[in-house]
Amino acid sequence: MTKIKWLFIASIIVLLLAMPLLAACPGEETTTPATTAPPPKTTAPPPVQKTLSIGGCFALTGAYAEDMAAVLAGFEDYAAYVNETHKLAPWRTETFPEDITLEVLWRDDELNVEKVLSIYEELKDKGLLVERTSGSPQALALMNLLNEDRIGATSSAVGPYLLSPPKTIFIQYPVYTDATAAIADWFLDNWKETRAPRVAYLTADNAMGKSVVIPEMDVYLESIGFEVVGTQFVPLVPTSPPTTQLLWLKQNKVDLALGVMINPGAQPTYKEMVRLDMGPDLGYKIAFGTASPGHAVVFAEALGEVGDGYLCAGSYPPLSEVTVPGIQFCSDLQDSYRSDRVTHIMYPHGVVEAMVQVEALRLAMQKVPIDELTPVDVLEYGFYMIKNLETGGITSTPLTFGPGDVVGMDEVLVQQVQGGKAVALGTWPLHNIYKHE
Amino acid sequence: MSLPSGTFNQGYGQDMAIFRTRTHWVMLIAFLIFLFACPLFFGDRILTVLTIIGISVISVHGLNILTGYCNQISMGHAGFMAVGAYTSAILTAKLGFSFWAALPCAALAAGIVGIIFGLPSLRIKGFYLIMATIAAHFIIIWVILQLYGITGGSDGLSVPRPEIGGFVFKSKSSYFYLVMIIACLGTFLAKNIVRTRAGRAFIAIRDNELAAEVMGVNLWSYKLVAFFIGCVYAGVAGSLLVHYVAFATTDQFPFMNSVWYLGMLIVGGMGSTAGAIFGAVFLKLLDELVTIFGPVLSAAVAPQAAASLSLIMRGLVIILFLIFEPRGLAHRWQMIKSYYRLWPFSH
Repeated sequence: MTKIKWLFIASIIVLLLAMPLLAACPGEETTTPATTAPPPKTTAPPPVQKTLSIGGCFALTGAYAEDMAAVLAGFEDYAAYVNETHKLAPWRTETFPEDITLEVLWRDDELNVEKVLSIYEELKDKGLLVERTSGSPQALALMNLLNEDRIGATSSAVGPYLLSPPKTIFIQYPVYTDATAAIADWFLDNWKETRAPRVAYLTADNAMGKSVVIPEMDVYLESIGFEVVGTQFVPLVPTSPPTTQLLWLKQNKVDLALGVMINPGAQPTYKEMVRLDMGPDLGYKIAFGTASPGHAVVFAEALGEVGDGYLCAGSYPPLSEVTVPGIQFCSDLQDSYRSDRVTHIMYPHGVVEAMVQVEALRLAMQKVPIDELTPVDVLEYGFYMIKNLETGGITSTPLTFGPGDVVGMDEVLVQQVQGGKAVALGTWPLHNIYKHE
Repeated sequence: MSLPSGTFNQGYGQDMAIFRTRTHWVMLIAFLIFLFACPLFFGDRILTVLTIIGISVISVHGLNILTGYCNQISMGHAGFMAVGAYTSAILTAKLGFSFWAALPCAALAAGIVGIIFGLPSLRIKGFYLIMATIAAHFIIIWVILQLYGITGGSDGLSVPRPEIGGFVFKSKSSYFYLVMIIACLGTFLAKNIVRTRAGRAFIAIRDNELAAEVMGVNLWSYKLVAFFIGCVYAGVAGSLLVHYVAFATTDQFPFMNSVWYLGMLIVGGMGSTAGAIFGAVFLKLLDELVTIFGPVLSAAVAPQAAASLSLIMRGLVIILFLIFEPRGLAHRWQMIKSYYRLWPFSH
């Protein structure tokens, strides 16, 4: 036992000594030559290979772990594609400089704000000129820091708070309020009765879910003819069916329930709805829709026909829809660079996010030489200059950003589960519901 | 205070001194010089890590007084931090208070809320108290989210950075100094609190409630005092955290943080001021190490190998400590010190 104790103490000491040393280890130089091959006999000097980093924080631990793993895979495959072909996408004619290699820098932030802060500083030290946030807590925590450092970022969290200044986080799918508004628009287009439809929020009880429960949303819903009844919260990942919340909807004669949920929340909620005979084609008629990340594709795969009627706005076309050039591109990327195929819908999201970061870097490099490139250059000459970035149909419209314009697209794709499959119902215009200060 | 071989206390003052010998003073001054010289050697990233460690140390000191000394196990510490954080955020962002006025208010508010949730502690203990403090966390977060007009609800609240005479604590090094000064003061206070009448009462309650009561310790008031002091520390830590991020959101205070603060106490050693520091430093550095190794492991083994690595490592370390060293790193430190006190004469 004494030996074990001493071994334990020794391992602790080694660990303690190793930690500061490793933490203080300088990162790889991001703009230094990566190859040291001897010069050829010809007079022309060899191109000096330089490295640029993309990536940022990925919440590989926690509720979004599966989504973020797919996003990271999208980043890695897109970087590999650009490195190999020096193209930006099959449908684009512009090329990426051949003397630059892209690398993906990432860290698991665990959805933990304190951790995000140190990761942010670490990646900044390593020369990452762009950033990304994976969830609302991280986006909220980094918003001011990103602005202070003038670093442009992409995000897979799209709360309306991103529309408040400083606006340096750029997004590829609509903010939750605009996405849920699109569901309301669709619902109203199909409303047959003469009375005003009754709507309630049925949403996750975290920052993401609650971000739609704002006065501006009520005003919009009432302005188009809804009667807003109230709000019910469901845990982000429910540990028991939200029966009470659903029965409240029934008692209050709600016709449409809107919210923001991830699939681990939306699926048990909908299953319980069906069990309670609630649904568009069941005894109690009600429609239920969530903003992406409650992706209809993931939902349909898990629930099949049980999930019929479920609505989702702001998501991407299914990975099976290879007629969409962007989705075909994602499929080709996986064929080329991935042995285990990623089937999660967030893979195209990762590809698009990487595309935006690379485009920002490419545009900035047209103004400033790579060795002198700073995050401010990438923000001002890169992100702000992205206009009509074609994503091959992965996003509802091509992406355009600018100072004060952080939402890339102008329309919202609404999908519904029909016959166990995610079916596109069409696109609805963005209303920019959230009015920032 | 353990003394080197051949050194004896000759008066009450010497007996009570925290730093008794010249060596103690030299070591303290050397440590403080090293600590406050850190911004000269380290970049923003290391300073960020150290600042977060400093904030955690302050918070864990509070939990140590409450749980380590008084045996009132609290799983709502992150919630109490949120009270301090939002008090400070509202006072500075909405009412225009200075940070220096808001900080004591934050501490006081957290302390008062701590007293309210500590009220049941006379009737319930152990597992039931844990459940009550868990409830406290969720009630606090719920209230913050409901007060949308004041707290910003889930959208959060933008918070100004501390300022003194026109100097804004904006840089990593300036905030590092601010946190470390408060952490040092907090440590000094924590060390002294447990040497007071109240501190001895806490220990008596921890060791045997009935015996303490028989000896005349007022359980009701001392338990509440423990809750108050513990939560005051949490309030200060919460306030420092939101002013550092310049933003207040409930997501900064997840329930799991309360669990990890308790983990820090286990690893560091409950009922020891040094233990609170050791625990916070150890688990936070472990976190950093795992974060750096994540991508390496992911590339070497499998893409998903890095997922949840931090949680696994933290859990594993806590289990190992519970099995092999339940008295934590502070106990090991004591043993090392004892060994060298008699060196070269082993006993």
